[in-house]
Amino acid sequence: MDQIVNENVSPADLKKYEGLYLEQQRRGHVSERTQFDYALCLVRSKYSEDKYKGIGFLMDLLRSSSDNQTMRDYYFFIAIAYTRLKDYERALDYVEPIFKLEPNNRQAQELKAYIKKKLKNDGLIGMAVVGGAALALGGVVAATLAAIKK
Amino acid sequence: MSGAKVDVKVVLLGKAYVGKTSLVERYIHNRFSGDTVPYQNVITIGAAFGAKTVTVNNKNVIIGIWDTAGSERYEAMSRIYYRGAKAAIICYDLSDRSSFDRARFWIGELQKHEEGCQIHLCGTKFDLIEQNPELRKIQERETAALAQDVRGRVYETSSKSGKDVALIFTNIASDYLKSLKNKPVEDNKEYMVPLRDASSKRNWCSGCKT
Repeated sequence: MDQIVNENVSPADLKKYEGLYLEQQRRGHVSERTQFDYALCLVRSKYSEDKYKGIGFLMDLLRSSSDNQTMRDYYFFIAIAYTRLKDYERALDYVEPIFKLEPNNRQAQELKAYIKKKLKNDGLIGMAVVGGAALALGGVVAATLAAIKK
Repeated sequence: MSGAKVDVKVVLLGKAYVGKTSLVERYIHNRFSGDTVPYQNVITIGAAFGAKTVTVNNKNVIIGIWDTAGSERYEAMSRIYYRGAKAAIICYDLSDRSSFDRARFWIGELQKHEEGCQIHLCGTKFDLIEQNPELRKIQERETAALAQDVRGRVYETSSKSGKDVALIFTNIASDYLKSLKNKPVEDNKEYMVPLRDASSKRNWCSGCKT
């Protein structure tokens, strides 16, 4: 799952599919395919701004879709985008609906496990930070007490 | 395997439902999930990645496999994935004529954009043909002729039985090792450590200056 989550789009591809999108927009109608292609590039961009923009596009597509398979795909890539943004809680919110559509989807299972692992790691780091802060605070308190006792 | 460096990038291309993911499943995990429901309708989202180390002549080659989604919706994405691939496994279902047309489409794409990519034509679901020869829609002579055209190899595989699945990847690994042998030495320059350069540009600390 590492490769899938961390794969970055090349700037040339991003530009190419952005160009196709803008061209259609100028003409007054953006096809679902063009919006999808551009969104997939955006979510795999290095920049957070692009990723959020890609999520927005995918959400629009999701809203106008009634086909289970396309909906499943939109959920998956929104989840990938949030995972890339390290917003793991929200990423999980978009993995779960996939299981309603396809209870045994392997890719969704792998992504879920990957996010859970990241969440756990973040939790451990958080605890270490809190623990470190507590230690430091303890030190300050001890020093203050020692000073008062003098 | 996720952090390991990949020696050879391989991409799987082909129409939806021909069994690309099943081929990778058989190769990497030696399992076939269609045992209960034959060729069930699971369709890959975007692409999946897997890696495996192949040992040929006491040498290890790490093969990174990009298993692309077959649905046409992902055509743009699949184009991105075949970039820089040293080998492409073009899959078609031996019992589905239209999947062979799709295979020709991908071959055309590769010849246009990835000249250096070795083509492996891979007929799938051989077990079905074996059971009922009437199901065969793509003849061996056709695929052999096409393979000759593109200077590629051709296989008839079954992910159910495992027939010839590993052979594809072993061939890819030996092709890679052969290509290393034929490479001129100069190509490896960047991996050499320039000893003399390092010593002449030595930074003295202030205490050592005389």
